[in-house]
Amino acid sequence: MNDQTMTPEERAANLKGMGSSRKRVEDVRFTQGKGNYVDDIKLDGMLFGDFVRSPYAHARVVSVNKDAALALPGVIAVLTAEDLSPLGLHWMPTLAGDKQMVLADGKVLFQGQEVAYVVAEDRYIAADAAELVEVEYEELPVLTDPFEALKSDVVLREDLEGQTEGAHGPRKHHNHIFTWEQGDKDATESVLAEADVVAEEMVYYHRTHPCPLETCGCVASMDKVTGKLTLYGTFQAPHAIRTVVSLISGLAEHNIRVISPDIGGGFGNKVGAYAGYVCSVVASIVTGKPVKWVEDRMENLMSTAFARDYWMQGKIAATKEGKITGLWCHTTADHGGFDACADPTKFPAGFMNICTGSYDIPTAYLAVDGVYTNKAPGGVAYRCSFRVTEAAYFIERMIEVLAIKLNMDAAELRRINFIKADQFPYQSALGWEYDSGDYHTAWDKALEAVDYNGLRAEQAQRIEDFKAGKTRKLLGIGLTHFTEIVGAGPVKNCDILGLGMFDSCEIRIHPTGSAIARLGTISQGQGHATTFAQIIASEIGLPADDITLEEGDTDTAPYGLGTYGSRSTPVAGAATAMAARKIRAKAQMIAAYLLEVHDDDVEWDVDRFAVKGAPERFKTMKEIAFAAYNQAIPGLEPGLEAVSYYDPPNMTYPFGAYICVMEIDVDTGEWEVRQFYALDDCGTRINPMIIEGQVHGGVTEALAIAMGQEIAYDEMGNVKTGTLMDFFLPTAWETPNYTTDHTVTPSPHHPIGAKGVGESPNVGGVPAFSNAVHDAFRPFGLVQSHMPHDHWRIWKIANGLGMHG
Amino acid sequence: MELTDEIRISAPRDVVYAALNDPDVLRECIPGCEELTQAAPDQLEAKVVLKIGPVKARFAGEVTLDTTNAPNGFSLSGEGKGGAAGFAKGGADVTLTEDGGETVLTYTAKVDIGGKIAQLGSRLIAGTAKKLSGKFFTKFGELVSEQSTA
Repeated sequence: MNDQTMTPEERAANLKGMGSSRKRVEDVRFTQGKGNYVDDIKLDGMLFGDFVRSPYAHARVVSVNKDAALALPGVIAVLTAEDLSPLGLHWMPTLAGDKQMVLADGKVLFQGQEVAYVVAEDRYIAADAAELVEVEYEELPVLTDPFEALKSDVVLREDLEGQTEGAHGPRKHHNHIFTWEQGDKDATESVLAEADVVAEEMVYYHRTHPCPLETCGCVASMDKVTGKLTLYGTFQAPHAIRTVVSLISGLAEHNIRVISPDIGGGFGNKVGAYAGYVCSVVASIVTGKPVKWVEDRMENLMSTAFARDYWMQGKIAATKEGKITGLWCHTTADHGGFDACADPTKFPAGFMNICTGSYDIPTAYLAVDGVYTNKAPGGVAYRCSFRVTEAAYFIERMIEVLAIKLNMDAAELRRINFIKADQFPYQSALGWEYDSGDYHTAWDKALEAVDYNGLRAEQAQRIEDFKAGKTRKLLGIGLTHFTEIVGAGPVKNCDILGLGMFDSCEIRIHPTGSAIARLGTISQGQGHATTFAQIIASEIGLPADDITLEEGDTDTAPYGLGTYGSRSTPVAGAATAMAARKIRAKAQMIAAYLLEVHDDDVEWDVDRFAVKGAPERFKTMKEIAFAAYNQAIPGLEPGLEAVSYYDPPNMTYPFGAYICVMEIDVDTGEWEVRQFYALDDCGTRINPMIIEGQVHGGVTEALAIAMGQEIAYDEMGNVKTGTLMDFFLPTAWETPNYTTDHTVTPSPHHPIGAKGVGESPNVGGVPAFSNAVHDAFRPFGLVQSHMPHDHWRIWKIANGLGMHG
Repeated sequence: MELTDEIRISAPRDVVYAALNDPDVLRECIPGCEELTQAAPDQLEAKVVLKIGPVKARFAGEVTLDTTNAPNGFSLSGEGKGGAAGFAKGGADVTLTEDGGETVLTYTAKVDIGGKIAQLGSRLIAGTAKKLSGKFFTKFGELVSEQSTA
């Protein structure tokens, strides 16, 4: 038998467990066009919904005339706020505890806001009918600038008038949402006052959008016979959606089944609840028929959750040798018409207080003011943990600005300020306990890999050549060392709408030694079915190929808070390991019984329990599984399954060192990424191939954001980037080659030491690209220029610096 | 969005001015015009079908004329609503200068647009606006020259 002839290493390799670059099992269906997405779901008698949306950014809705739409053959209903209000469903709670209009209740606050919902027999009739609904608006003054909004007499949220307390503390102005403060204000101000050097800068992280290839959508199906509502949708958090639907609709939670089928990318866009879900549910309850709603690309970009839009005013203090002594940050956060951020309740600005980054900064202060404007609501974590990419961009820009002030090399400035390996667990000035890290090792490895000194020498030569008129191209070296905070999170301080942010896994071993595992998370492309099976394979010694993984069906999967903020591996991955260990503990008792020895006399050996000192006497996990079901074992219940709900003791803190080398044409503003080096430390690596894929995808999204992608508004509140012609989504043509690398510093508190990686490349990538642009122009006097660095804006930098003669 | 142009029309200024204020002429010249009526001496109401890129919609609008500067020119302001497709509002200053037997018409228009048409990007809209005004003045030029030579 193989088991007896193979070495432990060979047996381990056969499992394709942790560390194996196992091919993605999902791709068998995806590469053959056999995925099952929301829009693939077709139910008998299914109706279709479409929205009438406001062309105005701020207006009163004077009247809605449905007659012409209702007269169109095939139109079933036209819903307005008036129809929903008797049910109490014209408003819904946002994940940030604000309330958002489902259908405009007398007023619209952003362009594209939902005003009426048309239900028809097919998608085309619904769209035609939406155009026939006549809405009379009375225009109101538009506020698109958060600083202006805080001064304006114009009241955006009349429904909150007289309400001095927001969801997160006192409101200072009728367009103010919350103030959130962290750290020691007085101490930081005195450090700034006494410092040798203080660098000050406004760092703006522009508004952008996750823009998943599959837009948001759902199919609501109310079975009037059983009283059960099935809701299929593009949900990153299906269990949370079930609870929220139950709370706002009054339907009992056991009568709601939420199913997330295959999801074509989420990136934070699919965490929250949208008007389309509520309207589809209502329409299905009213008609007794299934109702499908799928938004188009323009609707996705202009109305579902945006990301960023943070104005970060920073001050950083240092000694003249470059040792940082303090950091001060005041952020003005533009939330749009409703506060629909998907942040844990106690963190209205997410984990923005990770903005001390990878540096040992003894004193710091952060204040964030949330502001309402006439823009779409949101503020989601676009491929990052809550507001972590804003924080990383802020500190990595401030380091560069300080380097200019000190006339120091930015790599050296980082090195002398890194938290040292022996300082972990590290208590940051803004309240976090970093679990583990070894920044100096990663940094030195990265600088050596790109020949940093050689690059600086080349750059110096280039500057001379430029000044001598020999070239019109500059060379920029963009440095970043980022620290993420992911894996939300400990229930003691992390909840969304009161739902604790634990996660779960249930594993059931079948008698023949294969298994099914179900998790509270949901893959949107991350490859959970591949990687979580690898965790189980390593923990219980069954081949990953024999383990099915299921997520996204609330009737079968254990409750969990879903997939965003890189929380799947840190939280559900930990639950998976813990559930597997419960199974292994029972398997040990079964093995001992079968081998007729005491429990303590058997030991784990890759895929089996063997008698200590007699490795030839063993029972494989497969044999144990069969016995668990089919042999009467005194004192043990039959069966072999376990469930774990894992409440992590802390977040995890992945980090990385990214370096971007960029050529910039000063006359056209065109850029070319010559080299991009990404070193990630995500702790224990489960599947190196998937990590590499995640890094490639994340850096490409970072490239998009830094170099062109934005949701721009004109002064009337029109979305100027509502199609993919204007909203930059990189193709293979714009995407450079990447070099990936790694160090491994396991998380000490995670059962398998893993930290999560999916979002690191976006967090680290954006400052790396942006710093490259800034670095190219640094010798010519540039200190700060806002993203996105498209060709036009780069040309303007060069022009502003007098480089066009 | 601002539009400016200069058009030479082979007809005397009085004829051009009168034609520009003649609902029948305008109805014939405005691309996609379905209805145009004179609601008051200084007010026109119109229904126009416009296609901008993928968006085709019927705009209902009102235009108010300011003729204090006649016949050297006039100003107009108005607003058109296209339902789901969006809206447009703005104004234009038109100057008529005599040059021999011909008239040089210059105009400066400032238009704000909103809704779906605004989201299609200014590239598309500026091009379409240019094309439409080109069509209008070609037709207008033909009609007015015919009238003045008839």
